[in-house]
Amino acid sequence: MTALLSIEGVTRRFGGLTAIDDVTASLRHHELVGLIGPNGAGKTTLFNLISGFTPLSAGAIYFKGRRIDRLKPFDIAHLGVGRTFQNLRIFPNMSVFDNVSVGAIGAQGVGVVSTLLRRRGPAEAISEQTWAALRAVGLEAQATELAANLSYGRRKYLEIARALALDPELLILDEPAAGLNDTETQGLADFIRRLHKGGLSILLVEHDMKLVMSICQRVVVLASGRKIADAPPAVVKADPAVLEAYLGVET
Amino acid sequence: MSASERPGKGLSRLLTLAILIAVFALAPAALYLAGRSYLYQVANLIMIFALLSASMHLVTGVAGLLQLGHAAFYGVGAYTAALLATRFGLPFPATMPLAGLAAALVAFLVALPTMRLVSIYFAVATLGIGQMLYLIMLNWVDVTKGPNGILLFNALRIFNFDASKPAIAYYVVAVVTVVSILVIHRLSHSYYGNALRALREDDQCAEAMGVETVRLKIQSFTISGFFAGVAGALWAHTAGYVSPADFSFTVSILILSMVVLGGLGSLPGAIVGAVILIGLPELLREFKAGDYRNLIIGLVLFSVILFLPRGLIGEASALDLMRRQFAGAWRRAPDRRGGMGWR
Repeated sequence: MTALLSIEGVTRRFGGLTAIDDVTASLRHHELVGLIGPNGAGKTTLFNLISGFTPLSAGAIYFKGRRIDRLKPFDIAHLGVGRTFQNLRIFPNMSVFDNVSVGAIGAQGVGVVSTLLRRRGPAEAISEQTWAALRAVGLEAQATELAANLSYGRRKYLEIARALALDPELLILDEPAAGLNDTETQGLADFIRRLHKGGLSILLVEHDMKLVMSICQRVVVLASGRKIADAPPAVVKADPAVLEAYLGVET
Repeated sequence: MSASERPGKGLSRLLTLAILIAVFALAPAALYLAGRSYLYQVANLIMIFALLSASMHLVTGVAGLLQLGHAAFYGVGAYTAALLATRFGLPFPATMPLAGLAAALVAFLVALPTMRLVSIYFAVATLGIGQMLYLIMLNWVDVTKGPNGILLFNALRIFNFDASKPAIAYYVVAVVTVVSILVIHRLSHSYYGNALRALREDDQCAEAMGVETVRLKIQSFTISGFFAGVAGALWAHTAGYVSPADFSFTVSILILSMVVLGGLGSLPGAIVGAVILIGLPELLREFKAGDYRNLIIGLVLFSVILFLPRGLIGEASALDLMRRQFAGAWRRAPDRRGGMGWR
């Protein structure tokens, strides 16, 4: 089976610093892959390269066989890549429903003319997709509440719902467990597993090793911008290079 | 709730009905009983500024773009209408849409290069362009007659019907204003409005959700310019006289103060803001408040931002918006290619 997402020889330099150094990796259809690495390893940079926020210095990124590294973030979203942000970026002054609707709006598009003519079709499609995403994360009861009034944990799900409303093929989650306690992290792990079973391909960037090791099928490890491991969790756990990167052990 | 409706956002029909009765029956009746034509002028001015405030609401209150040159687009509309009426003898029903289109065209041309500017840089660009347009009105004497302004005789003519009697002119202004505000309402209270709100809240994040941010910003800026132009035509035809002073920077700040006083993101707020900031100085006219008008407006804007950042009924904090405008200012573009201030 061909790769859904493939990253080929990707390099990103910021001035003299090479944040991502010749990384090649891929994610197949319906795969749940974890991306881990110590602080400053370049996880979020790689993430921003995939979603089009930061241009590459070298290399190429393909999604469904299409080269996407020159595309704008909204084009990449239209192709079916939904993302969340490391430091929660919800729309605080909008209701929960309106927050999530933005994902559906992004996918469906909105026009001045169809809005003025009050065309039913586009509005209904957006509404259906929004409700479906709200139901998927269990936020439908809070639909009219202001997003700023949600608890921290609920906001995480709000962000995921907004990305789901895009109806993506690939969901990339940037440190979803950051700031959650053990029980909440467990709940999140079950939720991500359910999404994956529902047919979604997921790339999970995470600090929390336990979460990644417990749910991912394969783990890619970055250290200082380089890929140092790419294997199933059990193998990665025993890899001396990974241990060294995390613990700084001399070998 | 039908499937296509956004929950909790429908303007209640009762409120709409109440506003329509007030505008089309109660206010004219009161004006008729008062019997002073000066009061009709005040009423027209309130409605024109309600439209200006509503049009700025779309771009500043909803889409979060700090627009500091709105009065210039108002001026482009007013001069377009005045020139078409005096030079080509066009009646109001023809000059009004053309004034809107002229202002929209200028707004579109302004938006193309400036929309990729980050936050406060965009605001400064609108300020500069507003001043440029103002200076053109002031100095292009051959066309605009400079500071002397343009006088419109038989100003409010609807084909062969003379509508310039105060009571009739009131209804013309009321109909145009109400219809325009209903259009703005439909745009801001829809999924289209939601997309614009997402720009105000976090435009980079909206882009990651598939929203075409630059296109939407240019669109909303252009639409806002269109209605400012329509307001300009209303002013030219009801006042019968246009001169550059009516479209200066202080007027832009006056309109911004209405939007901020009412509260960012609230269309009723923008209208209430216009009613207060035009109506109150008129009420206080006997106390010579007119002399201190700009001072008062400045104080109102300043204190509302500090002490009532959500305005009277707003949905977003003006203080937060201002803060983010400045916070974004010294952030380099993520690719560090474009210099500071560019996205």
